[in-house]
Amino acid sequence: MMEINMIKKYLLKYGTAMLLFLLPLIVSKSIMTVVCSIAGYFIIAGALNSINGYSGQMCFGIAGFYCVGAYTMAILMNTFHISFWIALLPSGIMAAFAGMLVALPTLKLRGMFMAMLTIGFSEVMRMICLNWTSVTGGTMGIKGIKAPLFFGIKTSGASRYYYIYLVTALLFIFCTNRVIHSRIGRAWMAIREDDMAARSLGVSINLYKILNFMYGAFWAGIAGALLAPYKTYIDSSYFTLDEGFNILSMVIIGGQGTLAGPMVGVVIYQLLVEGLRFTGVWRYIGCAVLIIAMMWLRPQGMVGDSDSVLAGNKTVRTGSNLLSNLHWKTPGPIRKLIISVLY
Amino acid sequence: MDTKILLEARSATKKFGGLTAVNAVDMQINKGDIFGIIGPNGAGKTTFFNMCTGFYTLDKGNIFLEGQDITNQPSDVIAHKGIARTFQNIKLFKYMTVLDNISIGSHINTKTSIIDAVFHTDTYKKDEEYIKETGMEILHQVGLEKYSDSLAGNLPYGVQRKVEIARALAVKPKILLLDEPAAGMNPIETDSLMSFIKMLNSMGYTIALIEHDMKFVMNSCNRIIVLNFGEKIFEGTPEEVKNSVLVQEAYFGKGIAVSRGLSA
Amino acid sequence: MTSAYFISQLMNGLCLGAIYALIALGVAVIIGIVGFATFTQGEVVMMGAYISFYVFLYGGNHVIPGILGSFIATWVLGMIIYKICYARFLDAPEHISLICTIGFSMLLKNIALIFFGADKKPMLNVIKSINYHFGPITVSNVQLLILGTVLILVLILSFVFTKTDWGIRLKAVSQNREAAALIGIDVEKTAMIGNSIGCALAGAAGTLIGIYYQSCYPTMGATLSMKAFTSATLGGLTSVPFAALGGILIGIIENIGIAFSSASFRDMFSFGFLILMLIFKPTGFARKRSVRA
Repeated sequence: MMEINMIKKYLLKYGTAMLLFLLPLIVSKSIMTVVCSIAGYFIIAGALNSINGYSGQMCFGIAGFYCVGAYTMAILMNTFHISFWIALLPSGIMAAFAGMLVALPTLKLRGMFMAMLTIGFSEVMRMICLNWTSVTGGTMGIKGIKAPLFFGIKTSGASRYYYIYLVTALLFIFCTNRVIHSRIGRAWMAIREDDMAARSLGVSINLYKILNFMYGAFWAGIAGALLAPYKTYIDSSYFTLDEGFNILSMVIIGGQGTLAGPMVGVVIYQLLVEGLRFTGVWRYIGCAVLIIAMMWLRPQGMVGDSDSVLAGNKTVRTGSNLLSNLHWKTPGPIRKLIISVLY
Repeated sequence: MDTKILLEARSATKKFGGLTAVNAVDMQINKGDIFGIIGPNGAGKTTFFNMCTGFYTLDKGNIFLEGQDITNQPSDVIAHKGIARTFQNIKLFKYMTVLDNISIGSHINTKTSIIDAVFHTDTYKKDEEYIKETGMEILHQVGLEKYSDSLAGNLPYGVQRKVEIARALAVKPKILLLDEPAAGMNPIETDSLMSFIKMLNSMGYTIALIEHDMKFVMNSCNRIIVLNFGEKIFEGTPEEVKNSVLVQEAYFGKGIAVSRGLSA
Repeated sequence: MTSAYFISQLMNGLCLGAIYALIALGVAVIIGIVGFATFTQGEVVMMGAYISFYVFLYGGNHVIPGILGSFIATWVLGMIIYKICYARFLDAPEHISLICTIGFSMLLKNIALIFFGADKKPMLNVIKSINYHFGPITVSNVQLLILGTVLILVLILSFVFTKTDWGIRLKAVSQNREAAALIGIDVEKTAMIGNSIGCALAGAAGTLIGIYYQSCYPTMGATLSMKAFTSATLGGLTSVPFAALGGILIGIIENIGIAFSSASFRDMFSFGFLILMLIFKPTGFARKRSVRA
C-alpha cells in the first residue's frame, strides 16, 4: 500500500512539475497571459498572506509595496540601465524598506486602525509615484521597459516570460515554506494567536512584526519588479486601492494562514474574472458576490483551517447556522491535493 | 547582596488612576523556594505578577533578578533574563499542537534567522534538533507525551494548565511564576498538580505561585506572603500564616459579631 | 497669491468640509453603534448622488425632495448593508465584516457602472447660482445651501441622540452592547437603525456633493470612505462632534493645501493627515471612551 501511495505521490509531484514546465507548449498564447497573471498574483497574494495570515496583522495596503517594487525596477532599468537580474533584488529590498517604514508606526495599532494606516501609506506611495514626475514620469508612467535577456534568449511575451514568473513563484513557495516552519514562522504565529503569551515567552513582538512586514513587502516588491518588464509599461493606475483590495480578496477567498490558500484564491478569482469575460462588467459583480458569499459560508477561506483564529466560525451564532452544513471538512480535497503536490 | 535571593521586589507600587493596586510591597524569593502569594480577591496578586514580568510598569520601587535591576523592562527582555510565567486565564496557542506550543517556549534559546531558515544552515539544523529534543524531554518530564500532536485548545482544562507550565519550562527559566495554577481544577487534578510542582521544585526550579486553594498552598509552599488591598500584611511559613490573626481578619473580616457572641 | 483667492479657497474648503463632516458623522455613528468600520460609505454617497440625480431629472429641480429621496433610499440601503455585512458577524473577528464591506462596495460600484453608465451625469443648475459679497468674502447660494443643510441635519441628529427614546437606545448600544441587551434593548435592531442613520447621512451628503460639483459618476465615492474615516480619527472614531470638526478641518486643509501646491496633491493632504493622526494620536482628542486602538 505504502509503495503505491509513494508512487502516486511522485507521479503527482513530477507530473505537475512537467506540466507546469511544458505549459507554454501546450496551451495558446491568450491562455498563457492568464497563467502569467495568475503566477504574478500568486506571489503578491502570498506576500500579503505572509503578513495577514501568519502574524495576524491587518495590512490592507499591499498595493503600496507592489508599487514601490515595480517603480524601482522600472527606474533602475530605464534610467540607470541596470540589468533586470541585478535590479530584481534591490527592488525587493526597496519594498522591504518601505515595509519597515510602514511597520514602525503600526506596531501599537491593531484592527481597523492598522488597516486604515496601511491603506493610507499605500495611497501615499502611489501618489508620490503619480506626482514625482521627474523620476516616475507622473501620469505618463514609465514606458519601454524591456523584457530581460536570459543568456541571450529574449523573454518577452507571455509564453516566455512565464518561466520567470514560474521560477520566482516556486522560489517564493520554497522560501516561505521554510521560513514558516522555522523559529521565525513559529514566532509570527505565536503573535497571531496570543501576543501576550508570546511576549511572556521572550518573543520580541515589535521585532518580529517588523520582520514579518519586511518579509511580506519584500516579496510584494519582487512581484512588482516582475510586473514592470512583463507589461513593458507601468503607471500608478496599476497600484490603486482597488487593486490592493482585489489581492486581499484573493487571499481571503483562498484562506489566510496557509501556503495553499492564496494559490487557490488567486486561481478562483482569476478564472472567475476571465471565465466571465463574455459578460462584460457583470463579471466584477460576480467577484463581489463571491467575496461576500465566502465571508458568509467560509470565512476562513477555501482551504483555510476551520480551527484557526482567523476562521471566526466559533462565533457564528447558532441562530444563523442554516448554512453550516455547507462547511467543508477541514483538510478538504483541494487542500489535500495541493499539499501532496507541494511536499 | 546575598546571592541566594533570586527575585526581589523593593517597595513595588502600581497605581491605576486613583486606585493603588499594589502598594510598597517588598518580597524576597530565595533559590529553591516554592513561594506562595495569597490574598483575597482584588488584593493585587496578579497585578504584582504582571509588574514582575514587565506587563505593567511600576510607579515606584524596583524589581531585581539575582541582584540585577529589571524594573520596567519589556516583558520579552525579562523572559530572556530568566523569568517565565503562566496566566490566570490560560493563554495557550490554542490552535497549535502541544509540541508547537513548547517549541515557541524554546524561542529564546535558539537563534535561527531568516537566512538560516531559507538555506537550512547548520544553525537551523542544530536549533530544530534542540527544539525537538527539549520539547520531547519536557513532555516526558511532565508526562504529556501522548498529547504531543493534539491541538492545545482541545485538551481538558487540567492538561492545558500543565501544557502552559511545560511551555514556560522550555524557556529554561531561573524562576517560574504560576498564576492560579489550580484554578478550576477538581481535587484529583489539584493533587496531581501539587505533586507535579513539588517534582519541578526537586528538579531545581524556583517557583512562585498565586493560589486561592489554601490546602494547595499550605501543602506545597515553604514561604508565603499575604496581600490585602495591595499591601503586604504578612510574611512567613505556612504554619505562621495559618495562625496569624491578621490573615484571618483579611479573609473573614474582623468578626466582631462572632467574638461578641463567643464572649457573651 | 492674492488674499481674495485665499479667502475663496477657505470658503470652498469650509463648504467641502461640511460635506465631509456629514459623511464622517455617518462613519462615527456606524463605528460607534455597530462597532465595525465600513468601506462602503463612499459608495453610499455615490448612490445618494445618483438617486437625487434621478429625482431632479424626473421631479424637477427641487432640492428638498432630492435630499429626502436620497436620505430614504440610502436608509434602506443601510438596512441591506447591515443585513449582509454586519448582522452575521457581530461577534466575529473584525476583518470578516471589513472584507464584506469591501465586497459590498465593489458590488455597488459595479451596479452603478452597469445601470447608470460609466460617464458623468450632469446635475446642472439645480439651483441657480447667485454670488453674495460680504466685504472681501464671496459666498454663493449653493455654498450657503450646503452649509445650511449640514447644520440642520447635525441639529436633528443631536436632537435625536439626546432627546428621543431611540437616541438613548442608540447611545446605550454604542457604550456597552451586552449591558444594553441585558436591560432589554433589541441590540440588533438598534444597531441596524444606527447603520441606517449613518448611511442616510452619507446619502444626503451625496446629494450635496452632486449639487456642488454639478455631476455624479460611479467612481466618485472612491476616496470618500477614507476621507470620512480620516475625519473621524480626530475624535477617536466614535465621537460625533469631533468627526464633524474633523471633516471641516480636512476640507479646509485640502483646499488651502492645493492653493499652495497643485490640485493633484488633494488626496495627499487627507491621507497625510490620516497617517499623522494614527501615528501620534490614534485614540483621538475626544475625552469619551473610544474604540481600542
